[in-house]
Amino acid sequence: MRQYAMIIDLNRCVGCHACALACRAEWDIPAQDGYRRNWVKNLGPAKTSHGLSFTAYPGLCNHCDKPACVPVCPADQIKKTFTEPKTGKTRTMTVAATWKNPFDGTVQIDKTRCLGCGACADACPYGARYVNTNIANKDLDGDGIADKCTFCKPRVEAGLRPACVQTCIADARIFGWRDEPKIADYIKKGAIRLSSAKVQTGPNVYYYGQPKDLELLTKTSTPQEMP
Amino acid sequence: MNRRRFLKMSAATAMAMAAFSLDGLPPKGGLFRASRALAGTNYGPMNGSMGARETTSVCEMCFWRCPIVAKVRNGKLIKIEGNPKSPVNGQRVCARGNSGIQLLYDPDRIKYPMKRVGARGEGKWAKISWDEALEEIAHNMNKVKKKYGPHALAYFDHGASAENLREVFMAMGTENYTSEPAFFQCVGPAALAYLETVGYIATGTRQYNDMPHAKAMLLVGSHIGENVHVSHVREFIEGLSAGSKLVVVDPRFSVAAGKADIHLSIRPGTDTALLLAWINYVIQNDLYHKEFVANTCQGFSDLKKEVKGYSLEWAAEICDLKIADMKAAIKMLAQASPHVMIHPGRHSTWYGKGDVGRHQSYAILSALFGAVGVPGGLYFTTPVKVGHIECVEKKSKAVAPVDVSLKEDSNYPFSSTFGTVTADIIKAINTSKPYPIRLLGVNGVNIMQTIPDPYETMKAIKKLDFIFCEEMMAGETALWSDIILPDAVYLERYDGVYAYEGLTPYITVRQPVLPPMYEAKTPYWIAKNLARHLKIDGFPLPDARALVNHDLAAVDLSIDKLNKKGGIISLPANPYRTPKNLKIATDSGKINLSVAAFEDEDLDAIPKFQPAPAPPKGYARLIYGRCPVHTFSRTMNNLWLNHEVPENKLWLNDEIAGQLQIKNDETVVLENQDGKRSNPIKVLVTPGIRPDAVYMTHGFGSKSPHLSRAYGKGAADGYMMTNTVEDPFMGATSKRTNFVRIVKNKSILDIPEIIPIPAAIPKFKLRKLAADRDRQKAGAKPQYASAGDFSSKERRGGE
Repeated sequence: MRQYAMIIDLNRCVGCHACALACRAEWDIPAQDGYRRNWVKNLGPAKTSHGLSFTAYPGLCNHCDKPACVPVCPADQIKKTFTEPKTGKTRTMTVAATWKNPFDGTVQIDKTRCLGCGACADACPYGARYVNTNIANKDLDGDGIADKCTFCKPRVEAGLRPACVQTCIADARIFGWRDEPKIADYIKKGAIRLSSAKVQTGPNVYYYGQPKDLELLTKTSTPQEMP
Repeated sequence: MNRRRFLKMSAATAMAMAAFSLDGLPPKGGLFRASRALAGTNYGPMNGSMGARETTSVCEMCFWRCPIVAKVRNGKLIKIEGNPKSPVNGQRVCARGNSGIQLLYDPDRIKYPMKRVGARGEGKWAKISWDEALEEIAHNMNKVKKKYGPHALAYFDHGASAENLREVFMAMGTENYTSEPAFFQCVGPAALAYLETVGYIATGTRQYNDMPHAKAMLLVGSHIGENVHVSHVREFIEGLSAGSKLVVVDPRFSVAAGKADIHLSIRPGTDTALLLAWINYVIQNDLYHKEFVANTCQGFSDLKKEVKGYSLEWAAEICDLKIADMKAAIKMLAQASPHVMIHPGRHSTWYGKGDVGRHQSYAILSALFGAVGVPGGLYFTTPVKVGHIECVEKKSKAVAPVDVSLKEDSNYPFSSTFGTVTADIIKAINTSKPYPIRLLGVNGVNIMQTIPDPYETMKAIKKLDFIFCEEMMAGETALWSDIILPDAVYLERYDGVYAYEGLTPYITVRQPVLPPMYEAKTPYWIAKNLARHLKIDGFPLPDARALVNHDLAAVDLSIDKLNKKGGIISLPANPYRTPKNLKIATDSGKINLSVAAFEDEDLDAIPKFQPAPAPPKGYARLIYGRCPVHTFSRTMNNLWLNHEVPENKLWLNDEIAGQLQIKNDETVVLENQDGKRSNPIKVLVTPGIRPDAVYMTHGFGSKSPHLSRAYGKGAADGYMMTNTVEDPFMGATSKRTNFVRIVKNKSILDIPEIIPIPAAIPKFKLRKLAADRDRQKAGAKPQYASAGDFSSKERRGGE
């Protein structure tokens, strides 16, 4: 299976929050506490073993290899047929209201069947999901609708870049297939994931940067426990 | 997308949406149930902003003015992106650029012309008609002019909105129309230093610094990245990623410092000591570009003699730096010569005395390295020709004769080139000397947060016969105005033609994405109609669209032609010079290492180090900077930007915080050297600031309750600036000459002096130290400034 992934190059990132705002605009995310698909947390200045660091944690859904959010969804299981856009190849899987796409590795939500129970949001060690309680699937007696980063799938399918990548003023975000050179080269030269001994979901957002910045990032932002 | 908006969507859009599944794929046998989805629920826009109607324009969330595309669906602006044809930003816009939507739709926007009904500063208004508003302004302008003469009218302006109305003030005969705070409160000293040294303004509104091609860069205080101008940040990052070395001199550990090879955490107020010691070191160690200096510069031997006394050993003590670090840094820069970017900075009104000299020193270093007109250095502008219409004929805008001119006869020999000194206008209002100023027009600038000292500004406003403003949001300045005119936001109007003369020249125009909301009017309409009420001949064109077309016609363009090309055309650049065709536009025809024009005015031809007074015992110096999410005090009420960064924080050195037992995120109040207190502000405890300084980002702590989101959030640095020193060259106002201590749980905490101050640097003398201590001992209430400075009851904390 091919997997979409993102590199965030902290050597280029200036922590300006343009990504977070472009996402909010593109997907019309309400400006309410915790409602976001994409966030920036400015870190430091703080001491590290390599000297002072003043960097940022630009976060989004990691579209994990083994997403913790998918198996916990209590919505009715249905059969869903996925199509690979280029080849037209199809594959049918049994899914609840959220799944990992077998052809591109993105984790998606069926907004029409979400109950808004929040189980997925609670299960994510990165806090990448939120439940929008302004809206709900009333016919399902829903309490809200879960939302998160889709890697801008509709845009990507239309040949565009994710909104956060397009707007990044420093070209610090690189999106593509995990095995493409522009991504794979970064992984080869030491881009890291925010994983720990107990959190091994296989995130597909990678961070690259100076050792001091990666140290501060992992120290402050890597989850140490599964929720 | 809210429910209401969803229901309002047209059938066509709904159909378009239904054609895509949740994966964004055409529904090839998928389980997408379109009919149900469309019937009652609302999931957010399935396709984002794709397919919306696009209009090219120009951003004005800040004054860098990136070319943009605004996307409208069903009559609503839904997204702003960079113009893909733009050679500077492409499809990128910053946090603020993305959030222009929420300026347009801010419910706190000024919606109609309003007239003050309460006291000045109280913020009570009644709605009036445009005709009444303009008639009242015209009546007062005529009345003041008749009673006190034309110079009793003054105009403070900033940004594109302000240009048309400026011509109305000029037509009244006043000399006080180019008193742009943006100049006298910001770039003035830097602009003058470069104009006199290299013959052009290498830094000002635009900055002509070839960072992408630099092999080493020096930033002194500049915090590119936190200070976001998109193409400037891009050029900086491009240079770094191509391998440029970076030296950052800053008492604070900035984002740029985090990317630097060498960070010099300098004692605030001593930058010129370091620069002069470096200049001396470069000369003494033959690190300068001899051919360039011999052929292109004048004044080298004088410079050599003048800086001889400034050794690295001396600077180490003054600047509180290590000799080895200073030496390593200057060698790193010298090795890259001539492709070395001695960044000229931008905001330069730091200490009053010495600000011009500091920027002269940068320019001198650039020249010594031969880094002028070459890749990686300062580059030359490429003039871009466009038309320029005078809305009022030149002869009708002649300045009226005056016995003693505030502008021409100022104490500052180089001020009049740029306008009337801001601080002089405030003084003239308060003293009626050299003549009374009794009416103020304010356009696009929040003078309460921009001009120190705000308490003097409030005093001055109380003395005026009349004050009006043209604004989008009711900030502090609107609170104090007699009439408020609602300005169209940049997304609702045409402005002038924007020609960029930097590395990638272009011509573009701002054009309306949507018509003005409420009763807001465009700046051209406002100026044209005020002129009509004043019976001033002018504004011959029907509207700003005609004006833009007029200016484009001079280069055989029109709005329609430009739109067919994607809203922008790029032009070839000519930034570099060979030694043969290098022409320097100074009087001497050379780069002035020593500026005779300064000497003629009894000012230093070559910079000298003048120490800025150090913090008095118990205080730290207040320094400030930019937040990448906000522009000045203009954006704090923006729904999205406020949500992203609602307040500023006080950076406090971790060792000091430990001694004072202040924890991260604890809320404190600041008290400055004159007893003025700030709004409550949360503390960021960090090793990234020196113990003798505290830092906050500028523009927060709004005192206007009409900005419902921004009101009382964070603290305003400007309200802590009651001690100012005017730059002797052009009268710019200092901003880093104020000191604060911390008030926690009502007790005043003295900031311990961890780093000894050398005898060569005098300490700032507190004006009323004894009285102050008595007050403290007696437990008397602190002194709150004046009206407009709200009481503790009204204060809304930064919670």
